[in-house]
Amino acid sequence: MLGTVFDIKEMAVHDGPGLRTTVFLKGCPLRCIWCHNPEGLITKPQLMYKENRCVHCDLCKKECNHPECKPFGRCLHICPENCLVVSGREVETEDLVKELKASADVLGDSFGGFTFSGGEPFAQSKFLISLLDGLKDYHKCIETSGYVDSEIFKVVIDKLDFVIMDIKIADKDKHIKYTGVDNTLILKNFEILKSSGKPFIIRTPLIPNITDTDENLTKIKEIIGDSTWEKIPFNAMAGAKYKMLGMEYRLK
Amino acid sequence: MNKELYDFIVDKKHHEFRHTVDWNLGEEYQKNNLSPVERMADRFERMCNEEKPVILEGEQIVFLRTVANLPDCFTEDEWKDIKDKNYIHELGYMSNLSPNYYDTISVGLLEKRETADDYGKRAIDNIIMLSDKYLSEAKKQGREDIVEVLSQVPRYPARNFREALQFFRILHYALWLEGNYHNTVGRFDKYIYPYLKADMDKGVYTYETALSLLEDFFLSFNKDSDIYVGVQQGDNGQSMMLGGLDENGNEVFNELSELCLKASYNNKLIDPKINLRVSKKTPKERFTLASHLTKAGLGFPQYSNDDIVIPALQKLGYEYNDAVNYTVAACWEFIIPNVGGDVANIAAMSYPKAVDTAFRNSLLKSETFEEFFECVKTEIKSACDEIRANINNLWFVPSPFMNVLMDCDIYSGGKYNNFGIHGTGISTAADSLAAIKKYVFEEKSITKEDYIKAVEEDFANSPELLHKLRFETPKVGNNDDYVDSIVVSLLDCFADSLEGYTNCRGGKYRAGTGSAMYYLWHADEIGASPDGRRKGEPFGTNFSVSLFADIKSPIGVIASMSKPHFERAINGGPLTLEFHQSLFTDEESVEKVGMVVKAFIDKGGHQLQLNTVNRETMLDAQIHPKNHKQLVVRIWGWSAYFVELDKEYQDHVIARQAYSV
Repeated sequence: MLGTVFDIKEMAVHDGPGLRTTVFLKGCPLRCIWCHNPEGLITKPQLMYKENRCVHCDLCKKECNHPECKPFGRCLHICPENCLVVSGREVETEDLVKELKASADVLGDSFGGFTFSGGEPFAQSKFLISLLDGLKDYHKCIETSGYVDSEIFKVVIDKLDFVIMDIKIADKDKHIKYTGVDNTLILKNFEILKSSGKPFIIRTPLIPNITDTDENLTKIKEIIGDSTWEKIPFNAMAGAKYKMLGMEYRLK
Repeated sequence: MNKELYDFIVDKKHHEFRHTVDWNLGEEYQKNNLSPVERMADRFERMCNEEKPVILEGEQIVFLRTVANLPDCFTEDEWKDIKDKNYIHELGYMSNLSPNYYDTISVGLLEKRETADDYGKRAIDNIIMLSDKYLSEAKKQGREDIVEVLSQVPRYPARNFREALQFFRILHYALWLEGNYHNTVGRFDKYIYPYLKADMDKGVYTYETALSLLEDFFLSFNKDSDIYVGVQQGDNGQSMMLGGLDENGNEVFNELSELCLKASYNNKLIDPKINLRVSKKTPKERFTLASHLTKAGLGFPQYSNDDIVIPALQKLGYEYNDAVNYTVAACWEFIIPNVGGDVANIAAMSYPKAVDTAFRNSLLKSETFEEFFECVKTEIKSACDEIRANINNLWFVPSPFMNVLMDCDIYSGGKYNNFGIHGTGISTAADSLAAIKKYVFEEKSITKEDYIKAVEEDFANSPELLHKLRFETPKVGNNDDYVDSIVVSLLDCFADSLEGYTNCRGGKYRAGTGSAMYYLWHADEIGASPDGRRKGEPFGTNFSVSLFADIKSPIGVIASMSKPHFERAINGGPLTLEFHQSLFTDEESVEKVGMVVKAFIDKGGHQLQLNTVNRETMLDAQIHPKNHKQLVVRIWGWSAYFVELDKEYQDHVIARQAYSV
């Protein structure tokens, strides 16, 4: 089946055990105001404009006959500096599986496995399941917000070897305020994960004055108990991609 | 490590002890009709006489150059005459050899004197004389430890680790003072380890005290190195090889190898240049250990793969015992210690030039891609023929002391006298051929005439074609057989073109994968190229991807670059990968970089050098050089201080692709 990915990173160092290939699925139901992958938010392909490289030759503004350029109003095939790139590639499961297996082959024994990230990989859960089924013999890991229907969550967890799940904010109202969604479902899925027997870690991004408060971290600790917990330092460069997408970075 | 001494050297305060001499030796020797070897013997004697002993405070390993220049032995007219009659390699003096330090360290110079010729004896006498000046100075300063060491070496065999290190320093110093250059260190952990082990068994050293002494010893490589300039500051050939198999098939890597990695990490200086021999059997932990050094950003270690190099050297005719003992020349050329007389960097062939000539002269008449590719191969062959035809009557200025330290008569060559030829810009050539294949012969989306015109015009009037060629065409480095197979064919063709010929010293020719400085020089020889490279843009260094290729990850690069038949082209020349400094955040990331290296070795890659870079720091260093005096980068086969490089070399490192996560 057809899905949309916005990046494939080989040699991912921080996304699970061994040298891994991380597949970034496009689309996410959350709207965390600190999100550092804004191109992962909507499923539709988006134009990214790397202004810092632009020599302002305006060649891309000339009319062209390429059908793929039409939605963007710019010619994608003329920039001398490659400033215009479409983020989001539609790809068939079969083709992607083949491509991923080839990259695993290169690394041989050093290959650790595949990690599915996003966006929110569950936002394309059918596509995700088809990929997991196509990669049965490999170690598979997910990076998820946990915001998904619990039945689907169970099915997918069962197909994985390792889970990295975020618990960003413990308080329900604050969760809605800063991520756009209620965390009841997330906390329910965390309980499912805990009782699944799958190895997992919990991650919390440390966003100044939002998630890194003593109050929030104490409450998260109460929820997760002795589970392995990684606190991810705030990425000061997180806002960099918004401008390329013509989007506004809401975290000031 | 003695911090005061370290700072003293790094701040170049020892330069205050230097002076220059204005002797006109060439004219004097010409007037007295001295033979070349007599001139070398005389000059060495004068230099030893002129040198003043300097012992710095806290220094354990002594000998410092105080005469900053070395007057030439010949006049300009004489050189002209010599060059008319002979092929002169680079400066004409001996270089890129790996002498037998161990033999001399283990028997002492007096015993070596017994078997040396008259010029060798004279050189030995002069070194001993200079050493005695240091001994007197040590007595004067009340440095009992140095007095003890110099009362033993270099006259007599080293009895312990410290004496072995001091002995090495004296021999290495003397080689430079004699006028040899790119004097390599060889398999240091193999021949020095017995001394360390004996001392450690006796309890003389702990890990920490041995490390501290080794750091002082490593510092000594940086005292005079600015006098030993190659093409750029830093290009001085002080290469040290660690690890690898010995003659009995045992792994050499030992406590000393580990200490060397650590000393290099702690010193953070560009010398000695650390190389590490590895193989499929090398444990994962060693790659992690070595990757800590990579993280330090010195461009060390450079890896060579025993599984590939040893059998390939045997295939070229090296005996097993010699092949298994290989080390590297100044950069990465594989040479044999003690007996090898190979000239591993004698010339270079440009793949893009061959493509360029065929593109302009033969594309129009080629009906198929295969036909065109044959024309390219013909150009490669004729470039190799031309290189071979140019090298006759090779002659080096005879160096009596170098001759003492080699196990062969080095004046007439060594046991092996093969000539190594670099191959420049292979990815630019392969990317060009892939584009021609795809657009001219398969898609037929561009006419030959238009393509040739566009390249000749440097793509000034064809922006769409330029974009397509640069960013939408298969490139080497993404594990795409469409273009990788062309790399394989090109390297095979280069090897074929040199195979079966005998050089003027009775040796063979070795095809290589290095570029040396030709990645800039050869790029200037041609205009734009059919891969979308514009006029004036350089090639990648050595065996690397093109600078502007859209590379998805280093994994694809490893896959692409491990496909060729290196067993046929084993002169040396590494795949070069740049990692962004930000990749190295924690222990886990270091371990994973080690796994990437292991994957390359497991796949049959031959040689690999890694650079840890930070583009922003380099850009700042161009504006504020004073703030970045110690910033180190790897150039083509050696590490250098960024701010001491010419801008074109700086810009190239900045332009390389740096992988992050």
